[in-house]
Amino acid sequence: MEINSSEQGNVKVIAISGEVDLSTSPRVRDALLECILGSQAVVVDLSQVAYIDSSGVASLVEAFQNAKSRGQTFTLANVGETPLRVLKLARLDQVFVIHGTVEEAIAALA
Amino acid sequence: MSEQLDLLAQMGRDFAASQDIEATMARALSRIATLVGAEGGALFLLDNAAENLVCHASHGPVDILGLSVGADQGIVGRSVAGNVSEMVRDVSLDQSFQNSLDQQSGFTTKSILCAPMVVRGAAQEEERIGAIELVNKADAQGLFADDDLKFLEVLAASAALAIHNARMSRQLAEKEVMRRELERAAEIQRGLLPPPGDANFPVSGVNRPARVVSGDFFDHFTLFDGRIAFTLADVSGKGMNAALLMAKSASLFRCLGKEDLRPGRLLQRINAEVCETSMRGMFVTMVAGVYDPVTGRVVMANAGHEPPLLHKEDGTFEALEAGSPPVGIPIELTGGGPVPEDVLYLDGGSLYIFTDGVTEGYIADKQELGVDGLQTMIVEGLKAGLNGTDRIDRVAECLTKSDEPLRDDITILVIDDGANAKARCGQKQARTEEEQQTDQPLIGSLCKLSLPARPQSLILVRRAVEASAHLSGFSKEQTQDIVLAVDEACQNVVRHAYVGDLDGDMVVEVQRENGDYRILIRDFAPPVDESNIKPRDLNDVRPGGLGVHFIREVMDAMDYLPPPDGQGNLLRLKKSIPHNAVK
Repeated sequence: MEINSSEQGNVKVIAISGEVDLSTSPRVRDALLECILGSQAVVVDLSQVAYIDSSGVASLVEAFQNAKSRGQTFTLANVGETPLRVLKLARLDQVFVIHGTVEEAIAALA
Repeated sequence: MSEQLDLLAQMGRDFAASQDIEATMARALSRIATLVGAEGGALFLLDNAAENLVCHASHGPVDILGLSVGADQGIVGRSVAGNVSEMVRDVSLDQSFQNSLDQQSGFTTKSILCAPMVVRGAAQEEERIGAIELVNKADAQGLFADDDLKFLEVLAASAALAIHNARMSRQLAEKEVMRRELERAAEIQRGLLPPPGDANFPVSGVNRPARVVSGDFFDHFTLFDGRIAFTLADVSGKGMNAALLMAKSASLFRCLGKEDLRPGRLLQRINAEVCETSMRGMFVTMVAGVYDPVTGRVVMANAGHEPPLLHKEDGTFEALEAGSPPVGIPIELTGGGPVPEDVLYLDGGSLYIFTDGVTEGYIADKQELGVDGLQTMIVEGLKAGLNGTDRIDRVAECLTKSDEPLRDDITILVIDDGANAKARCGQKQARTEEEQQTDQPLIGSLCKLSLPARPQSLILVRRAVEASAHLSGFSKEQTQDIVLAVDEACQNVVRHAYVGDLDGDMVVEVQRENGDYRILIRDFAPPVDESNIKPRDLNDVRPGGLGVHFIREVMDAMDYLPPPDGQGNLLRLKKSIPHNAVK
């Protein structure tokens, strides 16, 4: 599981690839929190996520609430079928702000 | 004279009441020596091999307790061998006198009396018990007279009888103890057999030992999915030896069978165990199998046992020959591989497994029942409307009632598919060739993984579950859902089962049985409290607690089952395979 982050303007884009499970989700959690501390706006690119479990979802939720408490934005982009299914099972698909592509996500912030 | 009669009476009572024959003999000897008026004396008993006379009581200045002489040596030997009393009035005149003892002890023997102790049995046979020897009359001269000898003879005869009776009653007591122990062993053995089920239970057995304890056994137990595992075995030999090996094999069947019930491999494992701790030269012929009441399907393996009989619904019989040598033959000779399995569908018929004590048992006039006779009795039983249990009980009754005692233990097991077949409404499903083969991945256990219960193991579980779900016919989406559910269930084990440093294992097994796909997750940690497992309220958007919710959403059922051996936890997840996808 790999995490790559980049900056586009003042937006932090963090791309997660591979499988997020109990063994890898702690890294995701830490990376997300770091991003939130470092930027007002975070977009999470999930296009390369092949698998995500409840611990991965929990990391997303925690980051989302953290950002919210700071008045920052935290959105998801490129959520493929697999991660979307998991979010739907958890009924979180209506809670997160989800965009089709990273560009759309960034544009929405403006 | 009255003193003497008193002594006789007292001696008799003493021996009868005493637990300690040795002490009683010592007392008796002292009294006898005193009454006859001898300085010293000894009471000799013939040992078990009748080779030596051993001194069991000694009286007087020289203690020769424990001294052993050859059964035909010396005056005492002569007396016992010839059953005559001996008197050497004056030893200085007798050749056979051994004065070696005098040289050692410093005592001077002058005069000897010796009377044999012999009892006569009911058929006038003599039993030589020993002899009483007295030395040195306790008067000025120290020499005995004829009267003294006669007196000693009478006393010795009484002592003989008293000792004999005491021995008899001790032997009886010992036999009684042994008999009770044997009965206790038989009781325990009966307890190892499964209790009789209700009248409609399709599997039942009967066992009649030839002696008190049995070398045959049968067993059956029901798996959580309703299939019934069964076994019947015959240990070589009879009596205690056979019974002990029987107990060992029976335990192995239950214990190993609950882990892995493929009969061919089960017998292979039992064989390995028995050979490893081999009871020399003993072996077990054994049949083991599984019956599925839902389909009437039986998978069975036979190690060297009398061919079981399949009685088909159309009335014909078929014998199913053994595929391998018996259990317990050294592996160097047999190769030690799995026993070949047979797959058969009972289709409303019955399967009979029995030991050769049945077919070689006598019915009347030293006639053996034989396979034909057994078949006849089965057909008669069916005609009379008897159920499986009653049919085999009837056969056992017939063999035990005959005039002859049982030649060998009788054990019969029956699997009666009649009732279940009716419940299937007589529908014979078209069985694919694949279903009729054994060890196919389509039915039964697809895989069983044992892994350390830590996060890094989860990806291995996911891969295996993904592959097996796909193999079982689930769609891509369904497969992904199942993978998620199983991952979450395993996470519970990883996170909560082994608290702290405890490094434990979990075992994940994927099973496919007809239309069901099942995953079993086993851990060996302290039992989970089911009431603590609750899905999270999803309206509360908080991290954590999602796992159980995912499982319940995806799977048809999630249950905690009683774990084998009561250790740890066993979680079962179940999902039906969609019909059009059943491969």
